Amino acid sequence: MFSVFSADKYLRFYLIIPAIVLLLLLTLFPIVYILYFSFFEYSSNVDVPHQFIGLENFKRLFVDEAFHNALKNTIFFTVVAVSIEFALGLGFALLVMNFIEKVSIIKTILLIPMMIAPIAVAITWKFLYAPFVSPFNHLMMKLGQAPILFTSDVKLAMPSIIFVDIWQWTPFIFLMMLAGLASLPKEPYEAAQIDGASAWQQFRDLTWKFLQPVIIITLLLRIMDAFRLFDQVFILTRGGPASVTDTLSFHIYKVAFRFWDIGWAAAMSLFMLAVTLTISIWFVGKLNVEK
Amino acid sequence: MKLIKFLSCVLSLVFISSYVYAITVIVPNGGEGDGLRAAAKDYTALTGVEVEFVQAPYEQVFDKAANAANTKSGSYDIVLMDDPWIPFFAENGHLAEMGPYFDALGVDGPDNDFLGKSMAICRNPYNSGPYVCIPYVGNAQMFFYNTAAFAEAGLDGPPADWDSVHAAMQKISASGSFGYVLRAQEGNPVVAQYMPIFWSFCGKLFDENRNATVNSPEGMKALEFFLKLRDVSPPGAASMNQEETGQYILQGMAKSTINWPNWVTNFEDPSQSNVVGEMTYAAIPSGDCAGSSEIGHWALGIASASKNQQAAFDFIHWASSKEQIDISAGRGNPPVRFSTFTNPELTSQAKFRHFPVLMEAINYSTPRPRHPKWPELEQVFGVYLSKAVAGVMSPKEALDKANAELDKILK
Repeated sequence: MFSVFSADKYLRFYLIIPAIVLLLLLTLFPIVYILYFSFFEYSSNVDVPHQFIGLENFKRLFVDEAFHNALKNTIFFTVVAVSIEFALGLGFALLVMNFIEKVSIIKTILLIPMMIAPIAVAITWKFLYAPFVSPFNHLMMKLGQAPILFTSDVKLAMPSIIFVDIWQWTPFIFLMMLAGLASLPKEPYEAAQIDGASAWQQFRDLTWKFLQPVIIITLLLRIMDAFRLFDQVFILTRGGPASVTDTLSFHIYKVAFRFWDIGWAAAMSLFMLAVTLTISIWFVGKLNVEK
Repeated sequence: MKLIKFLSCVLSLVFISSYVYAITVIVPNGGEGDGLRAAAKDYTALTGVEVEFVQAPYEQVFDKAANAANTKSGSYDIVLMDDPWIPFFAENGHLAEMGPYFDALGVDGPDNDFLGKSMAICRNPYNSGPYVCIPYVGNAQMFFYNTAAFAEAGLDGPPADWDSVHAAMQKISASGSFGYVLRAQEGNPVVAQYMPIFWSFCGKLFDENRNATVNSPEGMKALEFFLKLRDVSPPGAASMNQEETGQYILQGMAKSTINWPNWVTNFEDPSQSNVVGEMTYAAIPSGDCAGSSEIGHWALGIASASKNQQAAFDFIHWASSKEQIDISAGRGNPPVRFSTFTNPELTSQAKFRHFPVLMEAINYSTPRPRHPKWPELEQVFGVYLSKAVAGVMSPKEALDKANAELDKILK
């Protein structure tokens, strides 16, 4: 049997060809199909063929104000939400690791939001934010106060969405950080303590440095996910008020499935892919440096 | 063995018949869809034809139906369409023409009992082409106001012009309530709210050459008045849709609004309303031009990709018959037939006291522009209107930008 395999050194490659073809079909074909459509003006009319327009949809990336607004909102959301989630997640992990490590019920409770489907989270918060039926606003009205328009006020809508994301995804960062902290070696800390290092010095010079690979992977996953924000916007605000919560994913959805401008939606999707790919490559590069 | 063969045949027939005669209808959430669902149960009991329903929020009905149409999946045999969607579906070839089905019945088309304006939207091109749908819910906007509150604010008769109505609204707002509640969520809601104001200030969306004219002097005047309505409305208008504006009226916190007639049922329902019997339903007041309601009918169309077109037509024909429209009106859906509007059994009931005004509103209504890209035009225009309402853009900047964007889409 062994001799049969060794007789043809390429046999092992032949054997994995079907798997590779299947993988390419499943991953590359949709991207190639999107790329194809990005060069066309899609026609919804069954009698009118799609029109080839070259790079027009890509040129539009530089001038379309609605796209720029969605991009700005997405970047703002990603930076603010992930920063706060990271700070809170790391803080909770340090707290649990150092002070309440034995209380496993707290860990479980902290993880609950992450276990709920994003769409269910958004629907729950829709009711919690509602001007008339939410418990908070009901109380406000009982006290003779006007309801707080969490998702209706131009200034509150984006912070309200960010808050929901923080509520749901801080536990993920907490979990990753906790796993990272649990795997840290004990010896450097013992040595530092003998040398008289303060808790802050131990965190800065040991914990932070040892945690770098975990931090990089965690931030990479969260940034990629936050950049594609859709569910919460779709349920809570529909991109409003006045487009202040219109994110890239939601904008692409509108352009594709309401306006049926598939070519333009394809170009924006490819832009999103390029951005997430660039971020991933940068983070993976950082990871390799850390190693 | 024979028994097994016999049972197999019976089961196959049952399966085939259920497959052939089941029709799928996509409808919106709320009264329009609920009414048709209720009717469908009667239809199944009568004919044995199964009618399956997919019910979704307003915008998703369009998204799902358009997706099915573009992919020619035939997922839905019938679409209950908001009337501004009709040009998109019809001009892109996604709706089956109904002429051949009427021919088979030996008639030219729908009977003359339907209101003229109701039938006009179901022809493509508007009011002249072949029938591509049958109207089912006779929505046209009305001005809803609290009779006592406006009388106290000095407006005794029917609201005739916006100036006197607005003066009364200001007095109401000064006394602690809200004179008006504005629906200005971006997209369809704010545009639907804006259009009757726009028309009453003589505004036109396009000129005869299809150039956008929303930033004309008439348009500016209309938007400035629209913002005056915002100032007598509860805060947060820029993201309010029907649910929120309806709640403000139901709770008695706001005293007037422009809304669709299917809300009348809610306002007159003691289990959910604090204003039963207090509201008057009137025509849209005039500005520099006569007030005109926006027509917003829901109509039943057959998907061109449907494999059950005859069965779909039979259901639509039955559901839009005089008897069924009477029943539908009794369930709270505004009718589309003259005989229903004048049916004494209905008009004698207090909850249908708005029927004469509504029929008048439909007869003098204005349709939204019949353009296949209307969903996109509406969304873009709606974003800028909403920005003006939210105060993040000046009225002039909002209209200038909206005009430029609309022109880009129209070119």
